[in-house]
Order: sequence, then structure tokens, then C-alpha cells
Amino acid sequence: MSTDASHEVRPAVDTAAGRAPRHSVDAGQEPGHKGGLRRKGLSERNRPLWMLIPGGALMIIIIVVPLLLGIYMSVLNLDQYTLRKWISSPFIGVENFVEAMTASPLLHAVWLSVSYSLLAMVVTLPLGIAAAVATQNAFKGRAVVRSIFLIPYVLPSFVVATVWRTMLQPGGIVDEALATVGIHVGLWLNGPQTFWTLVLVQIWASWPFIYLLALSGLQSVDHEVHEASALDGALWWNKLRYVVFPYLKGPLALAFLIGMLHHINNFTLPFVLFGVPAPTDVEVLPILTYVTSFQSFRFGLSAAMAFISLVLIAIPLFVYLRAVKLDDAETPRGKK
Amino acid sequence: MSTTTATRRSPGTVAVERPGSHRQHEVLRLLPTPLLIFVLVFLGALVLIPVLYIFLASVNSDIGVANGEFWPSSVTFENYSKIWTSVGLATGLTNSVLVAGATAVVSAALSVSTAFVLVRYTFRGRLTILRGLLALQSVPGTLMVLPVFVLFSSAATYLGIQVIGTQWGLFVTYLTFAMPFSTWVMVTYLRGLPKELEEAARIDGASNLGVLFRIILPLSWPGIVVSGIFAFLLGWNDVLFASVMTRPESQTAAVALQIFGASQEGGAIPYYGQMMAAALVCAAPVVILYLIFQRYLVGGLTAGGVK
Repeated sequence: MSTDASHEVRPAVDTAAGRAPRHSVDAGQEPGHKGGLRRKGLSERNRPLWMLIPGGALMIIIIVVPLLLGIYMSVLNLDQYTLRKWISSPFIGVENFVEAMTASPLLHAVWLSVSYSLLAMVVTLPLGIAAAVATQNAFKGRAVVRSIFLIPYVLPSFVVATVWRTMLQPGGIVDEALATVGIHVGLWLNGPQTFWTLVLVQIWASWPFIYLLALSGLQSVDHEVHEASALDGALWWNKLRYVVFPYLKGPLALAFLIGMLHHINNFTLPFVLFGVPAPTDVEVLPILTYVTSFQSFRFGLSAAMAFISLVLIAIPLFVYLRAVKLDDAETPRGKK
Repeated sequence: MSTTTATRRSPGTVAVERPGSHRQHEVLRLLPTPLLIFVLVFLGALVLIPVLYIFLASVNSDIGVANGEFWPSSVTFENYSKIWTSVGLATGLTNSVLVAGATAVVSAALSVSTAFVLVRYTFRGRLTILRGLLALQSVPGTLMVLPVFVLFSSAATYLGIQVIGTQWGLFVTYLTFAMPFSTWVMVTYLRGLPKELEEAARIDGASNLGVLFRIILPLSWPGIVVSGIFAFLLGWNDVLFASVMTRPESQTAAVALQIFGASQEGGAIPYYGQMMAAALVCAAPVVILYLIFQRYLVGGLTAGGVK
């Protein structure tokens, strides 16, 4: 992973090799070097670590504590009657987990979430790459085109979902438009086709994210590389495939991971698009967890489901954390 | 690419450079012209047709929208005056602006000081905190909403502090969930700042706070704006927490629109026009913010490598 993880990520990898020359560059600038030594002494005596307290306290109280609370709740028999005094509600061990795995739509939801995320990703990747490749060279109005391409990404999810919900009504604009070319799809917002509706709307909303990261990858291609392949008279397809795409591997791997996390965690889009209770074919993980809590009031079961989905999310998250550089060689005090 | 040539260009060679820069665009071109035009037109239409439709449907009659009209047969702007009470956008937008705005300001302030310490000082656990910031960005809201709800209800039961149903509860929640990403944006931004000014200030006897306020803050306002905007968007766009933790009087615009849309099911023709008008009004601030700060935001997105 870390080897093909792009120009952005690479500096973190070459710490051993990259630090030495960087230091010599530092030493070249006398005052900077001296300052570095001085600062090191100073920073160890007088560090304003108290500045970390407000943010740290917030994150501990509102994220870490509830996270632990959620894990604890997953072993309780917690419903609307026991919620008020949740601390003293009965302990039932792994029963919630057993019920989640065997007697609830959880596995179905996991399957839906993963397959919908992957399908959306498979389509958004080429769309985003095509958009980035098309806006790479300058032309009149490129700035406008770039702004337009990012609109679906900046529109709030609840707006996107509300609009598509209206457009996909039976007899609505989408049905009308398709009918003029003789296609009759049937219901979009109810029944088995809802899964594909969700995939389509997610694609519409999230391809610009791939576009953004692909664009940043393209901008890292050296100009000499472009000139060399132009001199070689490479065909556009070969140039793309052998010269340009290798540069995109890293950013796109990153985009893939983050995109998958976003799709799997996306609550607003299915929630507003289909409402609750959602059709069974779009009962993705976030919707199922939400409905189990706030419609069925099976809080303990819902906490167990949430815990299981956290384990699922931990896989791409772990890969992502390994790939992103935490530090760079420009903060030498960061090491040690 | 073209900017580097522009800066390198010396005054005398302007005339010579012009055809050269044209050739450069040719070199950068990756697609044959017909394909290029196809991609641009296809993707442009993919985006613009639905966006145009929002506006057209918002001035159309509900029957027109229900019948699948793209161009309205009759144009009316009265939807835009109805939504303030019917959808509850007057209350909703006020709450959204208050909560998301406060989130933006406080989270920007906290994240710049947090990032300052993380970037400029060494201490035990520093890398753990950085890693934690990244990990916390990806914790799904659906995982958190129930425990946070229970925590806040317990605050009412045991401490007598009423948080659920108030704007304060939302504000604290959004602030906390915005912090990891906002701080990460500031960390990447502050790393890019030269240290020489800080060093000079320290030699002149500036304290840590002095450095933060006199050197870091003036230099890093583009980063601060970006991290503030992301925090604002988090609050503005959220439906999950707001749908669980608000009452009608503390509802945000997002929830107001979602509830209005859901209540239109069944029976008579839904108020499509009002829904689209409200959607447009809710989207407008976000799109305007984005257009104004586009350059910084795109940089922040790719630098943060997230979202």
C-alpha cells in the first residue's frame, strides 16, 4: 500500500533516506539551523500543552466516552422502558450480537452497503478520471467547467436527495424523459429497483470527489513527461495508459478508500431519498442501525449492530491510516 | 502549469513565448478534441440539467412537476414566499445559521491552537493524537447518535442540564465532530508556513501565545477560513443528529426540509414547488460559500486528503 501511495504519501515512507539530505539543506541556511537547535531547547521547557485541553476534552466527552458507552450498551437489554435508567438495565451478554447476526437483517444490510458502495465506486472512478483528464489542458472557460463539475459535491446531501426524490416520482421528469425514448423503468422509490436508484444518485453526488483527487494527481505529472511523450509521438490512448495513469494510482487508491468509507457511512442520502421505514432493498447499515434505535426502540440491539459495523469500517480505515503521512520531514522536532 | 510559465517569462520574450505557450497546451492535451468535447458536454449536462431543474420546478405548479414537465407551463414565484412558514424555513434557517455559524467560529479557533501545538512542539503522544484525529474523522455518525443521545439525556437526568431539544446540544455535537477534520486541515496548513518569522519573534522575546496571535493567526487565515467552512458545512448538512436531538422550535433547515418532504407522502399532489424552492434556498448559502472560497477549499480538500 505505502509504496504506491502517491507523491502526497510518499514523503512519510522515505524518512530514513529523506531526512539526511533535508537536514543538510537546513544546515545550509545558518540562521534556520541555529534556530532549530534553540527552539528545541525552548520547546521542551515551555510547551503550551494546555492549548490541547479544550479540543481534547470535547473529543473525549462527546466521541470517546459515547463510543465506550455504545459498546457497553450493546451488552444490555435496552429498550424504551429501560432507557431512562439505562445504567441499571439488565445485562444480557452477547445476546444482542447473536440476535443481530442470526435474527436481524444485519447481514443483508452489510451485503447491501458493501455492494452498493463498490458499484457506485466502480462507476465514479472512470467518470472522475475522464473529467480530470478533460480539464487538464487549458481552454477558454475551464475555470467555469471546473466549478460546474464540483456542484454535485458541494450540494448538501439532503438537497440532492430531496431533488432526486422529486425527479424520480412515478410520472415525474425522469420517467417522462425516458418514455420519450421508449424506456419504461417502473418504480424508482419503491420495490426492488430502489437499490439501483440509490447507486445512481450516489454516483451523481460523489463522482466530483474522484475528479478532485484525480486532478491533484494529474497536476503532479512533470511537464517534461508530457513533452517527452509528445516528442515520441505517442498515441493519446497509450500516453494515458502508460505515462499518465501511473501517476494517478496513489491519489486514486486514497480516493477509493475514502469514497468507500463515505458511501458505507452515508445516512442522509438513503434516509431522505426513501424515508423510513426504508424499502428492504435499501436498508443499508446506517439506516438499519437508525431504525432499530429510533423506530423499533431496540437500543441494545442497535448498539450491537453499530459495533459490528464499526468492525467492518475498521478494515478500510486501517489501510487508510497506514497510507496517510502523519508527519513530514519538515518538522524535525516531530521525530523523537 | 501555465502559471509557472507566466512567472518565468521575462519581459523581452513575451512575443516569442506566445506561440510557445500555445504549443504547451497542445502538449498537455490528453484527449483528442471530439472525445474531449463529448466528455465535457456529457458531464456538464449530467450536472446542469438537475440543477436547472431545481429552479424550474420551484417556479412551476405542483401539477406541472407531477406530470414531469421540465419547462414550466405556468410560472409562479409564490413558492418562495410560502416556504418560510409551510416548511418552517424561517425557524430552520435561523437555527442552521446560528448553530453552524457558531460551530464554524469556535471550531476554527480551537483547531488553530490545537494544530499549532501539534505542529510546532514535541511531546509524548503527539503521533497518537495525529493518528486519532484521522481515525475520528471516519467514525460514522450512526454509530454515535444513540450513545450521544443517551449521554445528553443522562445529563438531564443526573445533572439537571437540559441539552436534548436545544440548539446547545447540536452545537456541542457539531463542534466536536468538526474538530478532527478542522484540526487536520490546520495541521497541514501550518506545516507549510515558514518558521523564520516565529523564530524572529521568539528572539524578540515573544511568548507562546504571542507567537500564536501575532505570527500564526495573521499568516494562516486562509487555512482558518477553510477549516471554519468545513465545520459550517458539517452543521448545515447534518440530518442525523438534528432529526433525533431537536424539537420543532430548534429544528435546523435540513430537518425541516426532510420532514416536509416525508409528510407529503400519500393523498393529494405533494407541494413539489415548495420542496424545490426550499431545497434551492438551503443549497444557496453553501454554493455561494464554495464559489467565493473555491480556490482555498479545493486546496484544503486535497491537502487534507479527506472528504
